[in-house]
Amino acid sequence: MNKSVISVLGQDRPGIIAAVTATLFKLDCNIENINQTILQSEFSGIFIASIPSDLTNGELCSQLTGALAHLNLNVYVKSLEHKEEGFESGSCEPFIITTIGPDRKGLVAGITEIIAKHGVNVTNLKAIFKGGDNPTDNIMIYEVDIPNDIDQQILRAELMKRASELGLDISIQHRNIFMSINRI
Amino acid sequence: MLSEKEIISTLEMLKNEHLDVRTVTLGINLFDCVSHDLNTLKKNIHNKIINVAGNLVNVCDKIGEKYGIPVVNKRIAVSPAAVFGAPFSASQFVEIAKTLDLAATEANVDFIGGFTALVEKGISKGDRALIEAIPEALAETDRVCSSINVASSRAGINMDAVLIMGKTIKKAAQLTADKDGLACAKLCVFANIPQDIPFMAGAYLGIGEAEAVINVGVSGPGVVKKAIDRAIASDPGIDLGRIAELIKRTSYKVTRVGELIGREVADHLKIRFGVVDLSLAPTPNVGDSVGEIFQSLGLLSIGVPGSTAALALLNNAVKTGGAFASSHVGGLSGAFLPVSEDLNISESVRAGYLSLEKLEALTSVCSVGLDMVAIPGNTSEDTIAAIIADEMAIGVINKKTTAARLIPVPGKKAGESAYFGGLLGKATIMPVNNAEGSNRFIRFGGIIPAPIQNLTN
Repeated sequence: MNKSVISVLGQDRPGIIAAVTATLFKLDCNIENINQTILQSEFSGIFIASIPSDLTNGELCSQLTGALAHLNLNVYVKSLEHKEEGFESGSCEPFIITTIGPDRKGLVAGITEIIAKHGVNVTNLKAIFKGGDNPTDNIMIYEVDIPNDIDQQILRAELMKRASELGLDISIQHRNIFMSINRI
Repeated sequence: MLSEKEIISTLEMLKNEHLDVRTVTLGINLFDCVSHDLNTLKKNIHNKIINVAGNLVNVCDKIGEKYGIPVVNKRIAVSPAAVFGAPFSASQFVEIAKTLDLAATEANVDFIGGFTALVEKGISKGDRALIEAIPEALAETDRVCSSINVASSRAGINMDAVLIMGKTIKKAAQLTADKDGLACAKLCVFANIPQDIPFMAGAYLGIGEAEAVINVGVSGPGVVKKAIDRAIASDPGIDLGRIAELIKRTSYKVTRVGELIGREVADHLKIRFGVVDLSLAPTPNVGDSVGEIFQSLGLLSIGVPGSTAALALLNNAVKTGGAFASSHVGGLSGAFLPVSEDLNISESVRAGYLSLEKLEALTSVCSVGLDMVAIPGNTSEDTIAAIIADEMAIGVINKKTTAARLIPVPGKKAGESAYFGGLLGKATIMPVNNAEGSNRFIRFGGIIPAPIQNLTN
């Protein structure tokens, strides 16, 4: 069995997951992982499934596109690459980087430029820019893995400097503080 | 994956509600420093403190940065000096205090506690010399804190010691008359003193404790107040049972912060982690006040009728939440009402809502007694001793810790202000009512026997 990654994107409405999974079932695919999210009104779902050896990604994609036509969704299918070809993180500590401050262009690019430069991997990101004065309406939350072998002081200093240039209030905290406070 | 709400509410506590670790206190056993020779003892004390605590401040700052939680104060508590300095005279005890002060300065901690004697059942030679040295020792040092345990629920109240402490407090105030009696702010008289308090002035390393131990004092009155405010705003019909539940949950969060930081500091220093002290400790900043919680609970001010019940609710909820959050809870663990250190409580005194008598009543349901209470400079030593005796009785009979940190401000009268600076704050001097005439009771001496341990009503 080969494994494929299926990405589905389009306007959110009831029945998307049902339609995708029914088609996969019909084609004898076995789902291994699903994750979905909704940004404003847009649905995005990513599925990993093992597919029969006689089913190509192209065929799977066209079957799905046909089945989902009435929902007006975009479908993309690719093979799952072997892990050693992807990014392999070394020994890391999980941190949360949070910024609060007024919206403007280039905030995510500005912060992630520094994060990427230091080889820090973003494992989860949420950014909300609604404008207005409420701090929680203009916030970026990066969950990151900071490698143990980099100089954290320099990373911190550069992030602080960049945040201040962008007019953001930044916090860089080990994940455990949030876990300790909020989880039993 | 953490939720947005978890992250934002945590940030809110840190940035806007003054959540911090109030103190990480490193307890150091000094019994192996003993010597019959004063200079050897001093040298041993200095070397041991620097050796064990040299890295404390750096480690606390580093871990504070890692979690984005400031460790506001780093402190040291040592074995009771009256024990390891037993062979020495009062003037030699002043030298020992200066050595502790120097070591604290070099270790860059703001206070060092343990200039302590435990005299609830009797006063030994070393205890007497240490107590005699207190006024000069505290007047001539900046960072040394002293505590004397004069009573316990098992031994009763040592009234001889109580009277001596009345005199000692008076003298300590006089020696620091130019600073409004500042020495008394570093001196606490206790009933049932715990062995593991991280907070000053009562911190010392108990005799039953390990060679070295890290105890943590968390803070969080601002967090509790904001949680109550938010809950009442979103549901004006909320009842006290649900408010208590909310305080409990908030206390849980605050305690977890203390335990996380304390354990990591202890790991780094390779020292045993001791306890989290759950006390709500205020500072003289707006939004970091225990007094403000009373107003959030609907009272005009701390001190008005209803205050004792409100405090009982608060204190019990804080303990319940904290005890669930950590299995290693100790120290004082209650709400502090240090008059000068809490802007709101200090203002309640000035406005006339909070009297000494009401404050005493409040201490029956919380730690930690009459704390940072400025009284007129002409209050007699007998009256000071009598106030202490009353406070000790509350602790002894109720099997809880109580303490008195009274400051008779030299040359000043009730209603005037006393300034102690920094965390110690400023206070309006409280009148001591009905203190005229002699007080024969306080001069009988002897021991008020320990209370019966059953028939508890």
